[in-house]
Amino acid sequence: MATESIIPILKLDNFLISSPQIAIHDRIAVQYKDALLQKIAETKSKGLILDISAIDVVDSFLVRVISDVASAANVMGCHTVLTGMSPAVAITLAEMDLQLKGVFTALDIGKSMKILQREEMRLRD
Amino acid sequence: MVKSDLGEYLCSKLDENRQAIQAEWVSQMEALDLLIELTPNEIEEQFNAVFDTATSCLRTGTFEAAISYAGNLAQKNIPLTLQQVISGFMIKRDIFGRFIKNLYEGDTEGWQNMLDYYEPIHRSVLSIVTVDLIKQQESKVRQQQDAILKLSTPLVELWENIVLLPLIGMLDSVRAKQLIEAVLTYIGQTKTEIIILDVAGIAAIDTKTAQHILLTIQAAKLMGTEIIITGIRPEVATTLVTLGINLTGIQTRGNLREGIKYSFGKLGFKLIENPKN
Amino acid sequence: MTDYEILVSTEMDIIAVREKVRDVAKGLGFSIMDLTRIATAVSELVRNAFQYAGGGTVTIKTIQNLHRKGLEVIVDDHGPGIPELDLALKGGHSTSGGMGLGLAGAKKLMDDFFIDTKQNVGTTIVIRKWL
Repeated sequence: MATESIIPILKLDNFLISSPQIAIHDRIAVQYKDALLQKIAETKSKGLILDISAIDVVDSFLVRVISDVASAANVMGCHTVLTGMSPAVAITLAEMDLQLKGVFTALDIGKSMKILQREEMRLRD
Repeated sequence: MVKSDLGEYLCSKLDENRQAIQAEWVSQMEALDLLIELTPNEIEEQFNAVFDTATSCLRTGTFEAAISYAGNLAQKNIPLTLQQVISGFMIKRDIFGRFIKNLYEGDTEGWQNMLDYYEPIHRSVLSIVTVDLIKQQESKVRQQQDAILKLSTPLVELWENIVLLPLIGMLDSVRAKQLIEAVLTYIGQTKTEIIILDVAGIAAIDTKTAQHILLTIQAAKLMGTEIIITGIRPEVATTLVTLGINLTGIQTRGNLREGIKYSFGKLGFKLIENPKN
Repeated sequence: MTDYEILVSTEMDIIAVREKVRDVAKGLGFSIMDLTRIATAVSELVRNAFQYAGGGTVTIKTIQNLHRKGLEVIVDDHGPGIPELDLALKGGHSTSGGMGLGLAGAKKLMDDFFIDTKQNVGTTIVIRKWL
């Protein structure tokens, strides 16, 4: 039985998109991670779009959650794109020098899709 | 005499002799060429300002007059140099000093008392006026720098999703910090995919500024925008190497043209010449 | 100006503290960028306190020096203390990798950063940002 996620994970074309509206604290984080990975496995999705435009503070904990999801998704053949980061969060993360590895970044959902489609094309060649 | 009485006494005597003091002040200032380019009216106004500021402080032992002096000067837009103002106060101090000496001719104790009262007050007046004036000037310079910065860092849209940011002149770390916020806010609003940072107009750079630029590029990448650098001058390149600044992962090109070519390429465009008829 | 003192004992408190600090900072007139910096730094430190010490107290103060106003946040816990503080502050990959990142990160985001830690006694961290 799939873990019911408090944070909705939706299908967008061949990809998945999730847009957390609430702060992801520790207990929710584990559930969320599991739900995302399960959904990826279920749908055999090649791409996951994480839209964080509703999140106003991203600390090292959240960065780790995102990195973990992206790494695991990668192993399953799924790319992760992070979108919707605000200028303030971007400056803060850059100043903290927190590395966000294994994740694409895009300015909006449309551009996220372009990246995922491009990656899909690349695999076909 | 009680302190405040001393002040009151001194000022009433000074007021009685205002004309003579003014004449002496003007003559000494002129001897040092400090009143050139001032009209007689302006000279009179300047003397009044100096005289009244000093007596007001001496009378009360408080310094509001001194504090507002510089502000008033800035507001009235009187074009006095720092030297003119400070000399104006110092000459007045000397004149007042001699005046006090004459006032207490033969009364050494009285003279000592008065000096004990007068000197610290005047020292404070001078330092307050000086510091305040310098602050006013610094604020003016900062305003001008802001204006120049606004003119010299326009974000120019070259094409959809390609924006040019040419940097000109000296970029210090304070301005660089403002630049970060302006650029990132712009990205947030316009969703521009590529920004070409052209630094052909930058002759020199220091560590802090370079780090701020790198930070901007890093933050922009997190948002989904690539910032490429074009036109790094040889001198700047050498400085970057010496400072150990790491540009790995950042696209750089020798000139703007190459940068534009890269940008179009990245967006999936190719430039094709129209077949001639 | 009133100070605020908040007890942190559950993970929900981390977010509550973060929001409170953000509110106070906003009231003082900090820019959006600074609000995020402050909230993120506090989030890092409070999470550390929660994770390694089971909780702690957070004090939020408005401060003033000769020229300007500022915000001070003190995170105090009675936990095991931070081993190899120098390494942790450099953000190195210490055994407690997560804490290192958070601590070094918080330090970079704030204007003032003071830390006092004693093994098996606890840790007190004072951070400040000036307008």
